[in-house]
Amino acid sequence: MNKIFNSINLIPEIQWVIAIILAILVFATILFWFWNRIKPSKLVDEMQLRTKSWWLMCIIFLFASIVHPVVTYLALGFLSFLTLREVYSLLNLREVDRSVLFFCYISIPIQYYFAFKGYYTLFLIFIPVFMFIIVPFLLVLTGETKDIIRSMCILPTSLMLGVFGISHLALLINFPEMNSNGVSGKALLLFLIFITEANDIMQFVWGKIFGKHKILPRVSPNKTWEGFIGGVISTTIIGCLMGFLTPLNIWQLIAISSSMAVFGFMGDAIMSAVKRDFGVKDMSSAIPGHGGILDRVDSLSTTASPFFHLIYLILITS
Amino acid sequence: MKKIILIIIYSIFWKNFLKIFIGLKYVNEKTLKNKKQFILIANHNSHMDTMAIMSAIPSRYIHKVHPIAARDFFGGSLFKKILMRYLVNATLIQRDRDDPNNDPIDSMNKMLKKSRSLILFPEGSRGIPGVMAKFKKGLGYLIQRNPEINVIPVYLDNVYKTLPRGKNLILPYNCSIKFGDPIKFKSMEMDDILLSSEKAMQKLMK
Repeated sequence: MNKIFNSINLIPEIQWVIAIILAILVFATILFWFWNRIKPSKLVDEMQLRTKSWWLMCIIFLFASIVHPVVTYLALGFLSFLTLREVYSLLNLREVDRSVLFFCYISIPIQYYFAFKGYYTLFLIFIPVFMFIIVPFLLVLTGETKDIIRSMCILPTSLMLGVFGISHLALLINFPEMNSNGVSGKALLLFLIFITEANDIMQFVWGKIFGKHKILPRVSPNKTWEGFIGGVISTTIIGCLMGFLTPLNIWQLIAISSSMAVFGFMGDAIMSAVKRDFGVKDMSSAIPGHGGILDRVDSLSTTASPFFHLIYLILITS
Repeated sequence: MKKIILIIIYSIFWKNFLKIFIGLKYVNEKTLKNKKQFILIANHNSHMDTMAIMSAIPSRYIHKVHPIAARDFFGGSLFKKILMRYLVNATLIQRDRDDPNNDPIDSMNKMLKKSRSLILFPEGSRGIPGVMAKFKKGLGYLIQRNPEINVIPVYLDNVYKTLPRGKNLILPYNCSIKFGDPIKFKSMEMDDILLSSEKAMQKLMK
């Protein structure tokens, strides 16, 4: 235990972020508390529930990300596991797929091990190359071909979003190029998660206040052009303000934050469509006010890998 | 000694395993907390059912709770018998009532008189998931003889997906175990007992 806490070595930038996050949470809690006293409504109740869940998620996340890296890896791996479990519980897979699901779960520790060791190439190809071929073949081995194409699509896609995407967060932490010359992987991780979640919140807030023109009327009635554009602009501004966490200059920051906002929106939209197809509003009820784990990490699973590779490109070319 | 083994197996191992890895959610399990003796009736689709119910029982009196199992299925070899006796705390009974010296109702009744609690699967055996089979009459006989004991319905929602019939690989699946309130019987008629317990289960299913 001592060993874990002794390795807490926070650079001033990370201390700033923690202070900012806590300040936002305190502000939101007080704001909604007063709002509820002055003008109670269903919306405020929901916001209070959401804020409460945010407290819990932030505390768990900050704890997991600032103590020993091994804890961070285990926590992120567990997040991948929860995501897969939620997908497989919802999507009603065939009973013969069970044995293949086992291999999907097994791929989580392998992928995170590669991330932990920093085996960049293996990390990159394990799921998109090897699992992409192995999983359908394992499905073929079950011998049941009825509806096999559905499972063949669902399993690799779930691995790509739930394991490959999220594990890029873990790769940030001790990837050699990300942790030298004054670049801190932990700071980059905080930056990514901060702007992704800020983007979610901003799109939600702008949509709630100004939303008129639906952007995806048949998929998600809550998503509007106003929310999308307002979200992208405010995320870009937030990204520039939080730029002290990254080694990027202002133009790179603008490019990265705005593309993260768009990628985050895409992840959200993809999951909305999946939920619509299955006729559910939320994936599960794991997080009060937010829905399931996947309702929260959907945008993260699509921003993590583009973010990592864009930053990597910038770092090796500059 | 037996109590310690059971606490380690169920209250510590299975409870955490089911909660963290399998994704089992306990709903209203506190209803068991201040009841000394009870009969739990549950739907039965998988071997995980017993594990899920046992893990929800307060460790204080877990050694006094006995799942009822069929002798012809679980009592095959001596090894199986010992396993069932010490690791599951099960009571093995005859499925049929042909032998008057070995009446299953009598042996369950004896357990209740010794202030033990029982876990019963009144459908008789693992049925089709999602379909509640007619409850066996044994439950009715038992309640008629012990009308003062709390009968608590337990519904296992999707628990069978973690270990379906005929499979031997346990996999995670978001599922839940719901405890109801003690059933109130209108009268001690056989039909009434079975009907109200089936109704209580249907209510939990929703």
